[in-house]
Amino acid sequence: MDTLSALLHGFSVALTPYNLMWSAIGVTLGTAIGVLPGIGPALTVALLLPVTYNLDPTSAFIMFAGIFYGAMYGGSTTSILLNTPGESASIVTALDGHAMARKGRGAQALATAAIGSFVAGTIATVALTFVAPLMVRVALAFGPAEYFALMVLALTTVTAVLGDSLPRGLASLFFGLALGLVGIDLQTGQARFALGVPELLDGIDVVVVAVGLFAVGETLYNAARHRYEPEELYDLKGSKWMSREDWARSWKPWLRGTLIGFPIGALPAGGSEIPTFLSYLTEKRLSKHPEEFGHGAIEAVAGPEAANNASAAGVLAPLLSLGLPTSATAAIMLAAFQQYGLQPGPLLFENNSSLVWGLIASLYIGNVLLLVLNLPMAGVWVKLLAIPRPWLYAGILIFATMGAYTLNNNLVDLVILWVIGLIGFGMRVLDIPVAPCIVGLILGPMAEQQFRRALAISQGDLSVFVTHPISLGLLLTALLLVVVPVLLRRRRAKHITA
Amino acid sequence: MTTDKGLRLGEVAFGLAVLALGVFIAFETWTMPVVGAATTVGPRLFPGLIAAGLILVGLWLQLEAVTTGPVDAEGIEIDWPAFSLVASGLLLQIVLLETLGWIVAGTLLFVMTARAFGSRRYLANILIGVALTALTLLVFDLGLDLELPIGSLFEPLLDAIRK
Repeated sequence: MDTLSALLHGFSVALTPYNLMWSAIGVTLGTAIGVLPGIGPALTVALLLPVTYNLDPTSAFIMFAGIFYGAMYGGSTTSILLNTPGESASIVTALDGHAMARKGRGAQALATAAIGSFVAGTIATVALTFVAPLMVRVALAFGPAEYFALMVLALTTVTAVLGDSLPRGLASLFFGLALGLVGIDLQTGQARFALGVPELLDGIDVVVVAVGLFAVGETLYNAARHRYEPEELYDLKGSKWMSREDWARSWKPWLRGTLIGFPIGALPAGGSEIPTFLSYLTEKRLSKHPEEFGHGAIEAVAGPEAANNASAAGVLAPLLSLGLPTSATAAIMLAAFQQYGLQPGPLLFENNSSLVWGLIASLYIGNVLLLVLNLPMAGVWVKLLAIPRPWLYAGILIFATMGAYTLNNNLVDLVILWVIGLIGFGMRVLDIPVAPCIVGLILGPMAEQQFRRALAISQGDLSVFVTHPISLGLLLTALLLVVVPVLLRRRRAKHITA
Repeated sequence: MTTDKGLRLGEVAFGLAVLALGVFIAFETWTMPVVGAATTVGPRLFPGLIAAGLILVGLWLQLEAVTTGPVDAEGIEIDWPAFSLVASGLLLQIVLLETLGWIVAGTLLFVMTARAFGSRRYLANILIGVALTALTLLVFDLGLDLELPIGSLFEPLLDAIRK
């Protein structure tokens, strides 16, 4: 009952006309920016950070919740109509969604994605409402050793489970961890790796790195590639509504997608790539028309989109209750919290309960707003896709540099942005995943602090990490996650050669 | 630099870069002065671990590049002139931002990026660039209290008008 009254209080915060306005602005901006090709949810949140600088924290996070969900909706439009998924989680949607668009069924693909996102988002938000307080209770039993083990687990899964090359993921992770070293060591006040530049003493901002990797790196990549990769944009035509058959084929995948997406997203090891792939495979196996998969099967859009949105809500559970980001987008949200001097975790629920529950309540509201915004207005968003590429990318760079400069009003951030942008370009060309770097940058310093705190408590005895059962369990899980896929791959390789 | 060979070179270079970063961090950690009392875990442990990690991964990448070759065997073509145009547009903006201000530096970046994407409509691009940068300047400086630079060259002019 406690949770329900807290949630009701949250609604009373989120439903004030002032906050409702920020929620509406958030979902609209989130959708509008998220629709733009090449801009995924993580970048959308990063680019829109400056807009919230002058708001009080509660309104700012209500707006963020809107931006976050809006960007998810917007991203599916891009992958369906343009076949350029903004981030890896929408790759699966692009497969059959774009095939549907090619057949002139783009409107139905958008509709099943939007309604599926609504269904999944709502159910998953309900789940979040009840899971987050439980996680908080678990988190209260956590000491530094457990937190450290949890962070190791999160870093491992972000790195090892995604992408097909372990050394590439690790390179990205260690690069992020190295960037995280820059600045003043919090425990001793020792300056590390600042290279004599005073502006670096505060460390390298996650937002600059995310914008550099996603916006600048992506723009450089597209500038270098646009001559070789013609795009095909399919306009909406014909009936805009889903037929009875479309509904019949969509509703079960929505529910199954939610069921797959939320738990995986909510695990401290989360991410949204795995649930979308799992949902796709499940639907393919259960479908009466598996031959249609890959050629525009509506289930293959409905399921993964639902899974994607459900996992996005799931990712918020460890973020809010443990302060643990498990995706690039969550890492940037965490940076936003830190900018307001807030540290997500059990204490946040205690001390800022209006903010937390206002945020959760605004997720419910945002979902409803987005359904209203997306079904009748799909045509408007499609127009945004048609922006000429020179103007689109030039505009992205204007906003990227503006965001980086206004963080601290100094040119050093722009120089960092430039360097990271070039590195991002290289990573894009060589197909190196970006998420481990961003999550590593924000989790690295946190993990170091917990590690040293744990050892300070145990007076330098390293065995604390294995004698605490929770910590041991988390570390073993992390180890298995690295070792098992390698062994499986080796076995598969043996099968092929044998 | 189009094909398989280019990409393989890229892989080797990438591995070397990771390795170099690791060695650099190891060196910096080694020479880092340790202040204060000797605590059990000082500020040098994590940098040391990360340096070790980078060096190992760098070696691993070399090994992979030599033995298995690039993951994407097709290789990809890169339009270097377009790439350089965008990269130098960003650099110019950094150099010019505080003297010529957000509007001029931003517009230049806009026009150069648009050119890199094949647009030659300079007049239209300049107009859009000016409109976009002026709008963001107004919204952010007046509405949100952030400071996008007007440019030290123009500030005396602005003061003169205000007087």
